[in-house]
Amino acid sequence: MGLLCPGARLLVLAQPGDPIHAFLKPGGSEDRSLHNRELSAERPLNEQIAEAEADKIKNVYPPENKPGESNYSFVDNLNLLKAITEKEKTEKEKQSIRSSPFDNKLNVEDADSTKNRKLIEDYDSTKSGLDHKFQGDPDGLHQLDGTPLTADDIVHKIATRIYEENDRGVFDKIVSKLLNLGLITESQAHTLEDEVAEALQKLISKEANSYEEELNKSISRTENQAGKISEKVTLKAATQNSLTHGESDETVSNALTLVNGLERRTQTFGEDDFEELQYFPNFYALLKSIDSEKEAKEKETLITIMKTLIDFVKMMVKYGTISPEEGVAYLENLDETIALQTKNKLEKIATDNKSKLFPVPSEKSPEETDSTKEEAAKMEQQHGTLKDSTKDSSSRPVGKTDAPKGKTEAYLEAIRKNIEWLKKHDKKGNKDDYDLSKMRDFITQQADAYVAKGILDKEEASTIKRIYSSL
Amino acid sequence: MAGRGGQALLALCAALAASGWLLGVGAQEPGEPAAGVRRRRRLQQEDGISFEYHRYPELREALVSVWLQCTAVSRIYTVGRSFEGRELLVIELSDNPGVHEPGEPEFKYVGNMHGNEAVGRELLIFLAQYLCNEYQKGNETIVNLIHSTRIHIMPSLNPDGFEKAASQPGGLKDWFVGRSNAQGIDLNRNFPDLDRIVYVNEKEGGPNNHLLKNLKKIVDQNTKLAPETKAVIHWIMDIPFVLSANLHGGDLVANYPYDETRSGSAHEYSSCPDDAIFQSLARSYSSYNPAMSDPHRPPCRKNDDDSSFVDGTTNGGAWYSVPGGMQDFNYLSSNCFEITVELSCEKFPPEETLKSYWENNKNSLINYLEQIHRGVKGFVRDLQGNPIANATISVEGIDHDVTSAKDGDYWRLLVPGNYKLTASAPGYLAITKKVAVPYSPAVGVNFELESFSERKEEEKEELMEWWKMMSETLNF
Repeated sequence: MGLLCPGARLLVLAQPGDPIHAFLKPGGSEDRSLHNRELSAERPLNEQIAEAEADKIKNVYPPENKPGESNYSFVDNLNLLKAITEKEKTEKEKQSIRSSPFDNKLNVEDADSTKNRKLIEDYDSTKSGLDHKFQGDPDGLHQLDGTPLTADDIVHKIATRIYEENDRGVFDKIVSKLLNLGLITESQAHTLEDEVAEALQKLISKEANSYEEELNKSISRTENQAGKISEKVTLKAATQNSLTHGESDETVSNALTLVNGLERRTQTFGEDDFEELQYFPNFYALLKSIDSEKEAKEKETLITIMKTLIDFVKMMVKYGTISPEEGVAYLENLDETIALQTKNKLEKIATDNKSKLFPVPSEKSPEETDSTKEEAAKMEQQHGTLKDSTKDSSSRPVGKTDAPKGKTEAYLEAIRKNIEWLKKHDKKGNKDDYDLSKMRDFITQQADAYVAKGILDKEEASTIKRIYSSL
Repeated sequence: MAGRGGQALLALCAALAASGWLLGVGAQEPGEPAAGVRRRRRLQQEDGISFEYHRYPELREALVSVWLQCTAVSRIYTVGRSFEGRELLVIELSDNPGVHEPGEPEFKYVGNMHGNEAVGRELLIFLAQYLCNEYQKGNETIVNLIHSTRIHIMPSLNPDGFEKAASQPGGLKDWFVGRSNAQGIDLNRNFPDLDRIVYVNEKEGGPNNHLLKNLKKIVDQNTKLAPETKAVIHWIMDIPFVLSANLHGGDLVANYPYDETRSGSAHEYSSCPDDAIFQSLARSYSSYNPAMSDPHRPPCRKNDDDSSFVDGTTNGGAWYSVPGGMQDFNYLSSNCFEITVELSCEKFPPEETLKSYWENNKNSLINYLEQIHRGVKGFVRDLQGNPIANATISVEGIDHDVTSAKDGDYWRLLVPGNYKLTASAPGYLAITKKVAVPYSPAVGVNFELESFSERKEEEKEELMEWWKMMSETLNF
């Protein structure tokens, strides 16, 4: 891109104090040439210059013609430029889908927003001859292949984009760009919003239906498969539902916020830029450290970037994509990143106040650790209470002494059956003796444990142990 | 069971009716001359099961015998002590006794919570012996059950009461003596009344499961709770029971939640959110007990109102309102679904009838056990495969959630149908899955949840990427 672009931008920005409508001069040919250059900033330098020249030439002639004609050619030029812009815009948008939405959106927006912000008034629909009926402007808006872009196409395109990216912010971006370019008015933006919402709902319901059919077929297959498919479906359905709900709930409030956003954008740009940025100490420090004269453009770039980011995050928070805490965390984290980056790259900014690391809300519930502690405590408690059980023998009914033989017989019988079964199910073959001694140890251990817990009394335990040792 | 004008006359009638009802009363064999008070193995023995009443020492011995015979698959433990210091013994049967194997559901039978309702106590002792015998014989059903389930059997929750009831001289036992614990507390009215809370929540909004959370301390400090009640509450909180039955006597029916009526009236069908599965569970017991499910069976006592009985089952509140019962406490404080089974018109029938009670209930007891392998089960884990304990599993259309246990495992009993299950946990993004549930076996559905921080990490990374790219592009 080189320095031409920032330089051009800088020229524009060099009047921070002026409100936008300072540019609203009748004719304003100089501005137009400037704007033209900026509009086509994406294209190679030569082309840009060539076009700028061409425009200048064109602009020379109109004053010589009749006013009506001059208007016509003016309009022509503007239409042409609009067409070019639109093409570029759609190209950019297409690009932004393919690559990570986050990256390029901001990139594009950043690249565009500074340039485009100045153009609002020039493309104001109230100006004569400029017909921006968004719906019916076949001359200005074309698809990539050159066929006229109808309003429906546009609506559908936007809806599709929102659907694919599952992000309502896409709409806002597109609309704000269009507004910035002056291609639509605010009221048209509202209309567009409604239409896009409709189209989106249609899309979702269509997709949901086709998924439903798929699902119904697949339910007859194995359960696992059905589970997998339905997981996707229901995930999608869940997000779509939230999206449509979000849409219907917010269309009203969105209209307002859109307006607010616009106002914000048009105003903040002219104000003192440092207002919001004061909350980002590192960034602020960075800005301050840049020598205003030498690296003014760097400064402005930084400011722009930061503001864009802040706006973006605000938007996300507003539409509930992230929570306010997360938004703040993002920005604070960004500030932190800036600190690191500047330290590394510029090596002239002292990052004295590294903002503290942000407590990521712990997802792991502390309950788990607590419950295990409680478990341990409980078990201790239980063992504690049980240790006294041996004193309990007095409460037991008298009949115990009457039939110890019977009991011993019973235990003997039971043990015999156990050994029998173990031998049958023992796959190790010749290791009967070994198993027996292992069993003996195990039983001894268990018997003692049971005595401790009050399940066996000492006599019984010794009886059992005796039996096992005699085998 | 609540008292019903228990006069001696009625008890006599009941005894006659009961003996007339029971088929194939076991013949008595002449016993060995008794050396002392008790005669051992006098009555029929079948595979080591002696069909006689077991007092506390005999109960202990019987369980120890089972353990000695089946050391590989059994374990005895105690959940606490009664007021008079008797151990509340439990025998556990599973292929890995003492260990909760992840994914293996836990089952419990609790008997004799009213000390004078004796049939349940004996049936459970017989059951323990039976399971051990059959396991060693290679009975496939039993082997599979023991390998796939962890079965806990508590023959008596009120050993003190039983002693009192059993000590009564003569054949006919009073309707009340020995019912409550040694402190005179009716244990089946002693549990925290969570029904009340749930009914309020139904009107004003609020949870209807796991209502005892954060109240553990209150339970321990509550002086009104009997030691037996407290012990059981801790037991329920410790082990992630899935299915349970509470054995009583005095009537012949399988009873399911809710026990307490919403309006407070004496009789009112009080359905819980899982009414469908509970009806199925109750029926799974009653249908295998010929007497219980007999549609032409006259009521236990002439003036009894059994209009609410359907196929040997009844909703608790529809029969009569019971506040503070253990059954509803299970459902509302834990994941466990419990029904109450009334096994005999007579609470403490003659010893000779025990064998036939066993015959009538044996299949029901096993079949009810098998019900635990129904519905949906699985694991809730995070993306790294770590279990997420205490995750919530909710079913669309059933306003009652279950939670996952420590290994992330959960079990959700459901009647056949199509359901949407949602697993969620704090800090994680919830996932919903559609499941088609047959009658049995349980369908396996696992969830892998992504945590917020993971999602945030992804987004943060994107942001960093972007920043990197930006800074590189602008030579910053």
